[in-house]
Amino acid sequence: MTQLDTRLPAQIRTLSDLHAYLDAALRLEHATIPPYLTALYSLHPGANSDAQHVIRVVVVEEMLHLTLVANVMNAVGLTVDLTPDDFVPNYPAHLPSGEVDFLVDVQPFSFRAVTTFLNIERPAKAPSEEARLLPCPDLGAGTVLAASPLDPSVRYYSIGEFYEEIDRGLRYLDAQFRLEGRELFVGNASHQVTPEYFYSGGGEALAVVDLNTALRALTVIAEQGEGMGGGIYDGEGELSHYYRFEQIQLARYYQKGDIPGRPSGPRLDVDFDAVYPVAVNAELADYPPGSPVLEAAQRFNQTYHDFLVFLTEAYNGRPDLLLEAVPWMFRLRDDINQLIRNPHPTREGVNASPVYERVPIDRGETS
Amino acid sequence: MIFPQGASIRTTPAAVSETVYDVVIVGGGICGAVTADHLSRQGRSVLVLEAGPANDLDIKDYEAYLTEFYSAASKDNQSPYPAYPTSPMPRSSDAEHRADDSGYLVQRGPHTTDTTYTRVLGGTTMHWEAKILRMLPEDFQLAERYQQGPRWPVDYADLEPLYREMEREIGVSADVGDQAYGGITFPRDYVFPMKGLPPSYLDRVVARDVDGTRVQLGGEEFELKVRPFPQGRNGIPNPAYDHGRGFVPVGAVSTHQVEEGERCQGNNNCVPLCPVQAKYHAGKTLSRALQRGVDMLTQAVAHQVHTAENGRVESIEYRRYRHPGSTEFETGFARGRTYVLATNAIENARLMLASGLQNRSDLVGRNLMDHAYLLTWGLLPEVAGTGRGTNCTSGIVDLRGGAFRREQASFSTDIHNDGWGWATGSPITDLIQIVDDGTRGFDLRRALVDRISRQLLMAHMIEVLPERHNTVTVDPAFRDGLGNLRPVITFEVPDYSMKGAAFARSLSKRLFARLGVEDFTEYPSDQYGFVEFEGQGYRILGGNHLAGTHIMGTSPGTSVVDDVQRSWEHDNLYLVGGGSMPTIGTANITLTAAALTLRTARHLERELAKQDQPYELASV
Repeated sequence: MTQLDTRLPAQIRTLSDLHAYLDAALRLEHATIPPYLTALYSLHPGANSDAQHVIRVVVVEEMLHLTLVANVMNAVGLTVDLTPDDFVPNYPAHLPSGEVDFLVDVQPFSFRAVTTFLNIERPAKAPSEEARLLPCPDLGAGTVLAASPLDPSVRYYSIGEFYEEIDRGLRYLDAQFRLEGRELFVGNASHQVTPEYFYSGGGEALAVVDLNTALRALTVIAEQGEGMGGGIYDGEGELSHYYRFEQIQLARYYQKGDIPGRPSGPRLDVDFDAVYPVAVNAELADYPPGSPVLEAAQRFNQTYHDFLVFLTEAYNGRPDLLLEAVPWMFRLRDDINQLIRNPHPTREGVNASPVYERVPIDRGETS
Repeated sequence: MIFPQGASIRTTPAAVSETVYDVVIVGGGICGAVTADHLSRQGRSVLVLEAGPANDLDIKDYEAYLTEFYSAASKDNQSPYPAYPTSPMPRSSDAEHRADDSGYLVQRGPHTTDTTYTRVLGGTTMHWEAKILRMLPEDFQLAERYQQGPRWPVDYADLEPLYREMEREIGVSADVGDQAYGGITFPRDYVFPMKGLPPSYLDRVVARDVDGTRVQLGGEEFELKVRPFPQGRNGIPNPAYDHGRGFVPVGAVSTHQVEEGERCQGNNNCVPLCPVQAKYHAGKTLSRALQRGVDMLTQAVAHQVHTAENGRVESIEYRRYRHPGSTEFETGFARGRTYVLATNAIENARLMLASGLQNRSDLVGRNLMDHAYLLTWGLLPEVAGTGRGTNCTSGIVDLRGGAFRREQASFSTDIHNDGWGWATGSPITDLIQIVDDGTRGFDLRRALVDRISRQLLMAHMIEVLPERHNTVTVDPAFRDGLGNLRPVITFEVPDYSMKGAAFARSLSKRLFARLGVEDFTEYPSDQYGFVEFEGQGYRILGGNHLAGTHIMGTSPGTSVVDDVQRSWEHDNLYLVGGGSMPTIGTANITLTAAALTLRTARHLERELAKQDQPYELASV
């Protein structure tokens, strides 16, 4: 990155604009975690090893992306907050990036679920500069998080374009700050999450200290996601999420040298029946008062909320706390397992499902 | 993939028979893997003869081992791995009967060994505990300093840089501050590839009362301190590693990371198998070599080493079974310019003896060593969280060295995070007892937790010196299902070690008293491993730290291999692994064996290059 291009038009003109975008990015990266986690744990243990690993890698990488966005925010002195009441989307949800032609459900693993995942991760570059921002219709159902955090009437063509906007904004602001004799990257370096706190996380947790590292962090997110870099493999030689998921539908692994849509590696075996039929988009209100399933759902919801509080603390100066993320994930898994193996008390033929409610419950009410 | 797709079936017996490799390696464990990795890096053609099936071992196969382990009633260290009725791997239960010949090992006594090893790609590193200690500098000078054991032809200074290289390969987690004791030195600014794993809560509870204990021994005073062990498992990469360049764990990205190793989660079943591959196993090294085009022939059990009149090895005859359990096999011959036997101390010696190779020193198969383990166990007065963390994170290592070694064995004491399992079969035995007592429901759960989370097991790893009469031999009366001669073991725990054991027992009584531990240790005389010494009974278990059957030295009369592990009598034959070690001190042998193997691989690299140089014809 030698020549910093500031000529492309950007919406982001101020630090507060950037904050709005990065906050939306944080929500976007998080928004995929509940659907992926639920699909992952809906798989019968011991079956679907291939699919399990594919989804697991992607979830882990989404968490890396969350961390990278937090690093960018910390680098420019912004505060990271995963605890607002509306931070967890109300599923079914539209993605916070602004894509409108599909809804994201919290649902069991299935061909349809994988199709949704492909929609989430699809590589899409706008055909023209004008097409990057499109009008945002009234979407009706589900959470509608502002597509452009600055102008709710417009949305981005794809997640890739959404990140492209942040990329442009960072370049613009950095140049602008320099002109004014100021420094954009004034964050406290000790807040950065570095690899020692985020090993085993699907790539390197890059410390963001300047424009170059900030842009590299965004590149990792974009490339790992939809392969915006152009190929099915990202700069690190890793398969992008879109193609990882596509392997499940095509029942074959990609290998180096393959072209999109034509994986030629070993077979990938999927058993779509070896899945717990968990309820789609469950809410606490679905479970009868006093039922053990409600209790389990509330417990999970509280654990999940506590996890977000914990991450917020980790991203605000306590990166060492992330070392405890492993036991946290075990806790989440155990709580989910207590739900998905039980029949849904009111819906025929389906099992209970984890609930990711926007408003945290009060622990005092439930015990 | 752990292994590249199809790597294990890339070559065939037919293709092998038509190839002369630069190096033929017998055995796909850590020493074979290190050799294959190093020489394939130099562009050498390498064949690995592997006795296990290992066809397309990928993540699904690894998980199949896990499923097997989870569902096995007996969780011994072979439980995840396939059984081979034709040449069964020794299991710990094989040793239940003295002088038994029904298993694979034929045990002639007087003491029995419960040693196991594993016919699976990756070898024993698949089920090791991954504590990875360096030997003390004085361990290499036992003869010179304490008049015990044969002399080593290499010393700590020779091995130090190789230790570091293997610590990189294995990705060792440790802090230098904790490991610089007993004369162990590191270069200035050295840090381990990954930061030390945190001690368990149990370690800290024990340390509270043990630290500062003073012990008199051999005219010296020692102060005890609970210290973390270096671990061959993924922790936190140290950013200061390699002069600030940091360390990237094997597979620390994406697919490879998921499939080749996460960070240690403290699952507590390092033995027999890490669920998330946080623990190093030789497959991590071997897979790289296979990606570089190393050939591997699986299901190929080495049968005979064939030599020419000048002593040079001409070929290795192997028997390739049709499928596990089948006694049908085809015979093949692997040929190379050089040969490396990397099948660990018992099998290396067995193959040499079964091949009737020259043995002027009469030392092949002699000096069999293994660490002698004495277990002591009791209940702590408080809940100490036993059952959490990896199998073993810390121990007491202050008595690994000292002048007392003129008289008695040194030892190192492990604090076991998995409770009494090794000693009593807990928690299953506890569960059965609590149920038999009529406890049910919540009380049962409570009782089980209370019983287990206070358990303290100390495993004292005692030095064993080489003794001529501790041997691996062969006997035509004992063959396996493929017609291979089976190893016959004669083993007696030397008095030198028993003095160490007696001392360890008395020390543990003292430590238990300090900790307020109620001692439950008992050594019934009808259990295998029972040894009587000076009127007291002890139970000595093995550590699977096999060594000594082809010790290295400075002359063919007093050793089997030279300082690069080359057979004195067979110019192009190398015997690598613990078998070459003249003494074993109190370090699990893997790191030293691997470092010595790397030294051999370096030598082979030079040796092959030398052979490749055109001969200078003498001018007439």
